[in-house]
Amino acid sequence: MAGRVQIPTNNSALIAMIADEDTVVGFLLAGVGNVDLRRKTNYLIVDSKTTVKQIEEAFKEFTTRTDIAVVLISQYVANMVRFLVDSYNKPIPAILEIPSKNHPYDPAHDSILSRVKHLFSTESVASRH
Amino acid sequence: MEVADHKAPTLENGQLADENADVLQFMDSMDAYFTLLHSLSSTLRQYQIQGWLELASARHSMGAYRVNTVLLDHTSHSAATTLLVTQDEGKVDSVEPRFTLCKWGSSSNEKFLGEKQSSQDQLHPQLRHRGSTQLSEEKTSSENKASCEIDDQVQKGRSKSLSVFGTLVSPKLRSAQLSFETALETLVEMANARSEMLYAFDKVDKKLGDGKE
Repeated sequence: MAGRVQIPTNNSALIAMIADEDTVVGFLLAGVGNVDLRRKTNYLIVDSKTTVKQIEEAFKEFTTRTDIAVVLISQYVANMVRFLVDSYNKPIPAILEIPSKNHPYDPAHDSILSRVKHLFSTESVASRH
Repeated sequence: MEVADHKAPTLENGQLADENADVLQFMDSMDAYFTLLHSLSSTLRQYQIQGWLELASARHSMGAYRVNTVLLDHTSHSAATTLLVTQDEGKVDSVEPRFTLCKWGSSSNEKFLGEKQSSQDQLHPQLRHRGSTQLSEEKTSSENKASCEIDDQVQKGRSKSLSVFGTLVSPKLRSAQLSFETALETLVEMANARSEMLYAFDKVDKKLGDGKE
């Protein structure tokens, strides 16, 4: 039951990033970069050589870490792992799709909007009556 | 029988009103979310584009080898900008997290300095017996001192972050840093709006699911 789930409060939770080089560098300048003792970072820089599997692994890792509260993911990267992003339904970490330099934000692909659309879709409504 | 007949419609009307209230709350929060998303996306893109352009300009003036991910610090270090995650106190049975951005440790510093100030007030109660003007002057100067300490902390954090790209950096790189900081603030607002909407959505979805059963 969703009502009984407690949110682990955290006074120094991290912001993770899965995005292109310039976006990651920009947010690292803003101080969000973290490297732990095992040299694990809270970001993945996506370029032409990054595979879909690497993106999937990073997404799964960041969404299961307890020290991460928000995951920023460029929308064009999220589209590569759309099935993973849309099937994610936990409140924390929050997944935010952000625009990138060459790919403006498209609300039609937003995972939240997809979920809302499904709620009001004709099939969904018909199944309840 | 007449009493029972009156009670049954009242109970159904109460449940219906309750469900309608949840649906209305969801529709309101969805409307607020998408309105905010639209304006914040424009703002975010504005600051991101500004940040990207400034980064490109810094790369042009400093050289591509100096503004490069190869230079990123891969030794163990903690993030200077983090999030404070709390649960909305008004909703005990909810899963609605609230996010507060702590830039360069500033929110935690403000809290620490506030606690330090209140503990100093407790140690020196004789201050309360002084004239009100003198007391307010002392309070203002201590607040200014606290504010200066926070500013120093922030500036040190910013300088440390920039130092990854060398001692002398382009002013454009500093501007890019500020643009992305502002973009972060926008993103945290979006995260809170999203969280609020998802909370309302889950309530409606659950009610509809119960209705189906």
